[in-house]
Amino acid sequence: MKKIIFLAVAVAILAAFFASANPDGLDHVAETLGFGGKAAASTAIMADYKVPFIPHACVSTALAGVTGVLLTFGIFWATIKLSGKTK
Amino acid sequence: MHIPNDFLDPKVSGSMMGAAAVVLAYALAKVRAAVTAIVPQEALAAAGKGVGNLLNGSRRALTRLGERKLYLMGMAASLIFAAQMFNFPINNGTSGHLLGGVLASVLLGPFAGTLVIAAVLAIQSLFFGDGGIMALGANIINMAFFGAFIGYYIYYIIKKYLPEWASIGLAAWASVVLAAFACSLEIGYSGTIGFSAIIPSMFKVHAIIGIVEALITVTMIKVFRSMTAENGEETE
Repeated sequence: MKKIIFLAVAVAILAAFFASANPDGLDHVAETLGFGGKAAASTAIMADYKVPFIPHACVSTALAGVTGVLLTFGIFWATIKLSGKTK
Repeated sequence: MHIPNDFLDPKVSGSMMGAAAVVLAYALAKVRAAVTAIVPQEALAAAGKGVGNLLNGSRRALTRLGERKLYLMGMAASLIFAAQMFNFPINNGTSGHLLGGVLASVLLGPFAGTLVIAAVLAIQSLFFGDGGIMALGANIINMAFFGAFIGYYIYYIIKKYLPEWASIGLAAWASVVLAAFACSLEIGYSGTIGFSAIIPSMFKVHAIIGIVEALITVTMIKVFRSMTAENGEETE
């Protein structure tokens, strides 16, 4: 089980350094058709997959990504821990 | 394909929220029934106060298989979250990323797969501003309902005629194109842009992104299955 989490962490870190910075399919279409400007900047805590206080862009994204991986797993982990079990 | 708030008008985002709530409630009920069992009254009485961890006096408790299923869901969700960060370049200044709907539902079944993608989308919009919070309903309908749930049944039907890997690949491609179509309709109905402009543009881009989705989905299903195999079959 741990292997998958390690794999996810590795993919998130690699993505921070090597992922394409080009707009994705929808963003590209929005730009081409001229409504991309409608999207306001996000106010989320790690908006744009950046941890706010880290200046180095890739490191910041890597940290945000690892946080996201653990948060995502955490939802399911917490569900398991809060559930009663049959034994 | 995460829609930001401003691309949708409140009527569309509101109705999509409602639709998403219905889908999630149904999927949640299905998964809950699958991972838990009703504890017989006699067992509760015999165990006395020892069953302190039965939540709120609920009669349902997580089974051992159910616990494993939830761990698998968590693993799939975190892997899909990470993979979605990995934008790959496609033609003329555009990139794409995995949606993971068919990936999740082939690994875990349609209901668990839908919940897994919805959980990823919720985290992305709440913490990372990827997809608007008001647009979360629409994004769940596109990527969790069409991507994972409907994607699963596309796979299920194709599998009757073709080998498994081909069915997975085709369903993955179709799920991306379908999600892009749903996304186009929502943006069109919001009056953001005309249907005749957005539908073909979204199709062209996502028909290509879908090919990569198919390749990643087939590969990751193999990797995930081999890494989580039980009973000493683990292949490292």
